[in-house]
Amino acid sequence: MFGYYVSLAIRSLRGTPVLSALMVAAIAVGVGASMTVLTLNYMMSQNPLAHKDSVLYAVQLDSWDPNEAYQRSSNEMPVQLTYRDATALLRSDIPARQAAMHRYGFTVSSDDFELRPFSGEARITTRQFFALFDVPFLYGGTWDADADSSPVQQVVLSKATNEKLFGGENSVGRSIDLNGEPFTVVGVIDKWNPSPKIYDLNNGPFNEAEELYIPFGLHRKFEIYSWGNTNGWASGDSGEGYEGHLQGESVWIQYWVELQSAEQLENYRDFLTGYIREQKQQGRFQRPLKFALTRPSEWLVLNEVLSDDNRVLGWLSLAFLLVCVVNAVALMLAKFLRKAPEAGVRRALGASRQAVFVQHVIESGCIGVFGGLCGILLALVGLGTIRQLSFGYIDQVATMDWLMMLAAVGLAILASLLAGIYPAWRVSRTNPSLYLKTQ
Amino acid sequence: MLKMHNIRKSYRTDTIETHALRDFSLEVNEGEFVSVTGPSGSGKTTFLNIAGMLETPTGGEYLLDGDNVSHLNDRQRSRLRNEKIGFIFQGFNLIPDLNLFDNIDVPLRYRGFNSKERRRRIEKVLEQVGLSARAKHLPSQLSGGQQQRVAIARALAGEPRFLLADEPTGNLDSLMARQVMELLEFINEWGTTIVMVTHDPDLARRAHRNIQIVDGQVSDLQRAVAAAEAATA
Repeated sequence: MFGYYVSLAIRSLRGTPVLSALMVAAIAVGVGASMTVLTLNYMMSQNPLAHKDSVLYAVQLDSWDPNEAYQRSSNEMPVQLTYRDATALLRSDIPARQAAMHRYGFTVSSDDFELRPFSGEARITTRQFFALFDVPFLYGGTWDADADSSPVQQVVLSKATNEKLFGGENSVGRSIDLNGEPFTVVGVIDKWNPSPKIYDLNNGPFNEAEELYIPFGLHRKFEIYSWGNTNGWASGDSGEGYEGHLQGESVWIQYWVELQSAEQLENYRDFLTGYIREQKQQGRFQRPLKFALTRPSEWLVLNEVLSDDNRVLGWLSLAFLLVCVVNAVALMLAKFLRKAPEAGVRRALGASRQAVFVQHVIESGCIGVFGGLCGILLALVGLGTIRQLSFGYIDQVATMDWLMMLAAVGLAILASLLAGIYPAWRVSRTNPSLYLKTQ
Repeated sequence: MLKMHNIRKSYRTDTIETHALRDFSLEVNEGEFVSVTGPSGSGKTTFLNIAGMLETPTGGEYLLDGDNVSHLNDRQRSRLRNEKIGFIFQGFNLIPDLNLFDNIDVPLRYRGFNSKERRRRIEKVLEQVGLSARAKHLPSQLSGGQQQRVAIARALAGEPRFLLADEPTGNLDSLMARQVMELLEFINEWGTTIVMVTHDPDLARRAHRNIQIVDGQVSDLQRAVAAAEAATA
């Protein structure tokens, strides 16, 4: 009977094209608007490291002002570390992998005189960054181990940068100039663009991944400051010049570790506890002993990648969908009750109330399918408009994947079934004898 | 075949209670052609709706083929209606956006026949009513008499044992009315029991038996008394 009911539904929709179009439009507009917002929220709250959620941890140490807790994170600890703490933690051999990092930028030039120098976003990091975050390599690999602590001018390029500089060839061993200094290419990574950029949510969570990756050991040689957010509480750095900046209490380094077992985790906790106690003896870390190891999924929440505003917007979009459903209920009621005489005839010919109900619910489901498909188109238009208005910075999240498309159709069918249940129930409860005499 | 004993049906609004049928008793035997007449508002259509299980009586007992159907649920009544009863209405009640084939197909779908069996039955009844060539036409493309023949074909497709006709010729001119009446008589000769409500005394006389309903009660006292006696025996 399902096929029969579907054919009746399509025939019925074609029989009242204007009313049907209005019902489809009501569902489509509601689904389109809500899916635009829900897609944004869904993409923004994605965890690109979900497959390593049980072993990766962002490290926080409470090195903040003894007189006032850090106010910008919900656990009242800075989300970045000082340079001196980061370099101290790097000496631990407990984690299976670990990486310290921050955002930076260079002017990039090459031997190709036709290529104009350009500004390239860079990540200053340690060699295990790539393995830690499963960054795929196209050519070569990460830099030498001593490059994390001594000035070795090596670079890993993104795929796009390699295409720009070398036409996509294997450029390992070739040289490029960064800020006028020669760097040897040791690796080229394949296309890789985690969204949100979970390893550095503090500096544009939806920015593109960097174009250049530079060893951590070059700080002193090039006096590298962070191009990202730097937060501090002490009145000045603890010393003169760049060395004073490195040894100061400003936080600007993101730090991640991979701990593959409960034992490693416990050992690392002990290590951090010991480190903080040691620092306390030296006059630092004057707040109560506190640190945090936070998994990627929790890190997204802690950093409020999906803000309260986004959540409210999500609820508002669902409320709008509800308004559209209420409109669809009214339209379906009008349509179904207009066809009540036909339902009366069907009842006289042997259809039970349940059969009449199911027939009309399936008709509303068909409206939902059409509404869902139109809703996807509207959502794509909505997301495209957001991309245009946001000047590209949100390109990665203003896109709809297959899961969200299926969700859109599912939401539309659910909405239309909800809208159709009451009208279908009403028409199935009408007394057929009322219509048989008067038709 | 059909046996009603002390059937009551009343409709209640906030202020008024109307008794459509009062202590209504009637028996119709297998193969009979019974006409039902009576003034407007006497309860003829209410009787027909209860007989067709479209409405439930307020009280009394209704036996169809010996089974008490007064207390069946909606699904059971719908199945019985589909299997045993055919309806013919004054206004034809064809579904306007379905062609003749699909109109006749409706009760067969609810019966659960496969497509081959449905097609066989539809083609057979269309041939019986002389409309085989019009199978793909819409009801609006037919005359009133032709539409009523389609309605009869639809009622017959399920091979019911009991046909309920509510003023089947009321919307037809005399020539078409005669043709439809002849068709009903022909169907009755095949063995189908027919109860026909009509205002036309000439048509009523052509039935085996005429029942008059007045103020919600059967005025064929002789048969009513006999039915009541049989019920109490």
